[in-house]
Amino acid sequence: MSVEHSGASSNERDRLADCVELIAAQRSRSAFAQIFHFFAPRLKSYLMRLGSDAAAAEEIMQEVMLNVWRKAELYDREQASVSTWIFRIARNRRIDTLRRVNKPELDPHDPMLQPAPQEAPDISVNRSQMAAIVRQQLETLPEEYLVLLQAAFYEGLSHSQIAKRLGLPLGTVKSRIRLAFQKLRPGLTPDD
Amino acid sequence: MFRAYFDMATAEISEFSEVYSAYAAGCLDPGFALMVETQAVLRPEVQRALIKAEAIAGIMLEKEVEKPLSDSVFVATMSLIDAEESNPSQLQTAVRTASAELDEILLLPSPLRETVLETALQNDWQTLTPGVRRMKLSVDSEAEVELYRIAPLSTVPRHTHSGSEFTLVVAGGFHDETGQYGPGDLCLKGPENTHQPTADAEGVCYALSLREGGLRFTGMMGLLQRVLGQ
Repeated sequence: MSVEHSGASSNERDRLADCVELIAAQRSRSAFAQIFHFFAPRLKSYLMRLGSDAAAAEEIMQEVMLNVWRKAELYDREQASVSTWIFRIARNRRIDTLRRVNKPELDPHDPMLQPAPQEAPDISVNRSQMAAIVRQQLETLPEEYLVLLQAAFYEGLSHSQIAKRLGLPLGTVKSRIRLAFQKLRPGLTPDD
Repeated sequence: MFRAYFDMATAEISEFSEVYSAYAAGCLDPGFALMVETQAVLRPEVQRALIKAEAIAGIMLEKEVEKPLSDSVFVATMSLIDAEESNPSQLQTAVRTASAELDEILLLPSPLRETVLETALQNDWQTLTPGVRRMKLSVDSEAEVELYRIAPLSTVPRHTHSGSEFTLVVAGGFHDETGQYGPGDLCLKGPENTHQPTADAEGVCYALSLREGGLRFTGMMGLLQRVLGQ
């Protein structure tokens, strides 16, 4: 469960994005090798975390990497970081393979069911800027919040599954995830 | 404490739904996923939430522990890629073929090009033999007006005509018993002629054919034609 890496440095993220563009433009095998060496061991961990054994995890990982090769032309660095893009490929593969699909339990107060806010303060959505803010704010979150975000957004556990796993009351899990999610936006310091 | 926070933060409530995390993690029912994506197009606050949710997931992948791979897996992946590059999948082939053919059609001389593009909306190519296809063009004519596409070195089945047949080579070239025809050459055959045109090796041959009366194939195709009543 521990998060051992601090992730990729900003230089490294640029390098990874360059690599995907090289695959698209030149079918560069050495660029693919760099992507592979960064992501393959992480994808294997991810897939094993979801319950695959080592052999199946490598098989699915290989399929994901093949899709990176095939779809490199569709990658747009203005839209997403390479890690977000590859995660998206992996999660779609995961839907195909594991078929663990949830129907959400929405209560009437769920934001999805709310009308549009009267005033939307900042309509413009700049993806790369927002992702950078999320990254920055994520570094400031205490470990107990990171663990919750990881379980929800990365592993895809429902709030009640997380409550059971961590032995926390459901209400605590919900409020902490909501709080952490809200902290990931501009201009907030960890003390807010 | 929780209650107090909840009340205080009423203005912030639209920030997070469990649906967003399920979506980002890829375990949301596909119908709901489609709905959320659609809502995101219509509502900036939902779009922001999804961008945030997906960014979190991507960063978690970056921070993931590296699990050692088995020795051969990189080499195995590269050989899968090599195999795929030398033998593209059927879908890739189909897409490439379709776009190559569209390029060919766009290179046809102008009035013909428009007619072919218009026709292609209703009529598809009809395959006579592998490598030989024809499209009946929507032209208000007494004659049968057809475009032939003959792949390099492919041969149109031997046939004869009940009336006259005019064939204009539009691109590439073909040869038959009577000679060699290139772009702009017009070949006329009467009911007394039987011929079997073969496209040149250099490229795809496009030919525009005007025919009075029907086209009668001889040999095996002729038998088929009679059986099928065409």
